[in-house]
Amino acid sequence: MAKQINVALIGNPNTGKTSVFNALTGLNQKVGNYPGITVEKKEGICKLPRGVKAHIIDLPGTYSLNASSLDENVVIELLLNKNDKDFPDVAVVVSDVENLKRNLLLYTQIKDLEIPTILVINMSDRMTYKGIKLDIPYLEQKLETKIALISTRKNRGIDELKEVIANYKELSVKPCLNASEIDTDYFDKLRKAFPNQLLYKLWLVITQDVNFGKVDRNQIDAIHSFKTKSEADLKRLQQKETIKRYQFINNTLKKGQTIDLNSAKDLRIKLDRILTHKVWGYLIFGIILLTIFQAIYDWSSVPMDFIDSAFASLSEWTKHLMPEGAFTNLIAEGIIPGLGGIVIFIPQIAFLFLFISVLEESGYMSRVVFLMDRIMRRFGLSGKSVVPLISGTACAIPAIMATRNIESWKERLITILVTPFTTCSARLPVYLIIISLVIPEGRFFGLSYQALTLMLLYLIGFGAAIVSAWILNKVLKIRSKTFFVVEMPNYKVPLLKNVALTVLEKTKSFVFGAGKIILAISIVLWFLASYGPGEQFNNAEDIVTQQHALDNLTQDELDQKIASHKLEHSFIGIAGHAIEPAIRPLGYDWKIGIAIVSSFAAREVFVGTLATIYSVGSDEEETIKNRMAGEVNPILGGPLFNFASGISLLLFYAFAMQCMSTLAIVKRETNSWKWPMYQLVIMSAFAYLVALIAYQFLK
Amino acid sequence: MNTIIQNILVFAAVALALWFLLNKFGVLPKKKTAVTKACGKDDCGCH
Repeated sequence: MAKQINVALIGNPNTGKTSVFNALTGLNQKVGNYPGITVEKKEGICKLPRGVKAHIIDLPGTYSLNASSLDENVVIELLLNKNDKDFPDVAVVVSDVENLKRNLLLYTQIKDLEIPTILVINMSDRMTYKGIKLDIPYLEQKLETKIALISTRKNRGIDELKEVIANYKELSVKPCLNASEIDTDYFDKLRKAFPNQLLYKLWLVITQDVNFGKVDRNQIDAIHSFKTKSEADLKRLQQKETIKRYQFINNTLKKGQTIDLNSAKDLRIKLDRILTHKVWGYLIFGIILLTIFQAIYDWSSVPMDFIDSAFASLSEWTKHLMPEGAFTNLIAEGIIPGLGGIVIFIPQIAFLFLFISVLEESGYMSRVVFLMDRIMRRFGLSGKSVVPLISGTACAIPAIMATRNIESWKERLITILVTPFTTCSARLPVYLIIISLVIPEGRFFGLSYQALTLMLLYLIGFGAAIVSAWILNKVLKIRSKTFFVVEMPNYKVPLLKNVALTVLEKTKSFVFGAGKIILAISIVLWFLASYGPGEQFNNAEDIVTQQHALDNLTQDELDQKIASHKLEHSFIGIAGHAIEPAIRPLGYDWKIGIAIVSSFAAREVFVGTLATIYSVGSDEEETIKNRMAGEVNPILGGPLFNFASGISLLLFYAFAMQCMSTLAIVKRETNSWKWPMYQLVIMSAFAYLVALIAYQFLK
Repeated sequence: MNTIIQNILVFAAVALALWFLLNKFGVLPKKKTAVTKACGKDDCGCH
């Protein structure tokens, strides 16, 4: 059996760590969570020379081993716990050739934990461009390690890196800094108190302001009780440690690295001047957003139409192929239309993530964060709140978790509370289907009305988040300090492989995450719509036939009337009619009411629910859109989905807190049910009110 | 016969779907996960 070793990929953010992970593992990777917490865990398998297999973990980006967030906590906990099944046989520290000095701080800390450590210097293709020269043998000697000079962009040096990892046993574990140098007396006492333990590990445990969940409490308490120095003294010693590390790094780089600024040809400053300009910056950002929404509409219409008709045909084909009966109907009228309601949105979701991924990969997103900080401050948010708000376009759950790097509790809480207003990908299917039904197809200066409406909805969501943040900032009486630091990575041409993997991973998680729920809800809904209590349901055929005995209806028309009567008296029909008085003023019928209630599980369920309800009893080969377009308002006549009810629905979904999972994550992040309950009640009431005003005004 | 089998399959599918949804949204009690074995004792290996 091939030998397997654990390799931990560690590095500062924006060093291309994930690109190294992708280059090493290819598609042999999986994404999960660390047990008990919701920090993303990426791991994969890489085949190394001489039959060695490496289990590679891509640890969250961190600037040092002085953890200040949950993400960074994961790194330090793993490196301090030799009993962890993922404890690395070798640590691979990824650095960026342009920020070597800053990146080496983390390297020296890991090296001092006496773990075999390899230094990867990434982005080597930019060395000539930036006028950087490195003396690799000298750096290897001073840093007591092997260095892999690589470029994931040009796919250079990966094989050499694999070779170095395979030979990790040859690496020195000698520390870079003698911990005693920080304070000889203090460290002597520490050594005497814990004679068998690594001094630097003890120092890290003493100075970290985090909860060590994995490391034994007794041991941690024993070390903490040793402290002897005040918090202020310990902070001073930490600063001394950092200064000593930088002295070591400076001495090393003095000879090991030369930078010739005259030969550097840098466009970055010029680009930054334009992209972060207080007028041009916002204008360019606006144009980019417009282009994205236009492209989402224009490029995805063909594959969407194809998927829609393919599912309609599949449903029809299933009915013909399988023997008649309840199970056949469940598949043809429940499961297939329900799944069709989610699969149809794959093209648009994929395009959205394609653009977001390109913006992130290129380094532009950090400029947006910087740009938006000017606006955010006025509303009680931090520039760092932009990241959750933009991530919220994918899903509010990871976005809310991304607030953990906001240092001020007040800013973090406000960001958590307002992030669900951002238009997430689950709202997209609802918006798209309703926009296509109620907004005409014309164009305005080359931009379609439908794309403009979609962009407007995104802006409404973002605007609602900003305004509610401003209100919360005034209402919440929490005192906290605030500061904003953001790293501007270099501009890069996005790596096709990284973009493709992101699009694949995000689309897959959207389809499979939501798909399972939609499948289950489709089955339950179909059952509730196909069965019912009492005479009206069981004798529907006789009742309808008698009612229309004199109307000269064709067999098809009569069948339609029977199906409609059965649906109205099914379990779902009875439930729908019960809630109808509450939603009638908004322009919705009981079927839309059922779709709204069921979409509380996940917003995208709305379309699948309507697709299932409208399919029950129908023998026609119809697309979801056509079925919805054909629905008639039972009271006013005319299409049910008209401009007034459509806008009312769009606004309802723009503001309503229609997501159980988001509420659960808010509870976890705030450690209280108080905040998610406020969110649920206030957002839902506001959504209802806005939808009501919109419908009553537009009808 | 065919009708009976089809009905059984429908009820099985509905039961499965309901179980999945109740489980997914935390209505059913969850199994307790084993507590992570702590290190730091005599032979913990973390030093």
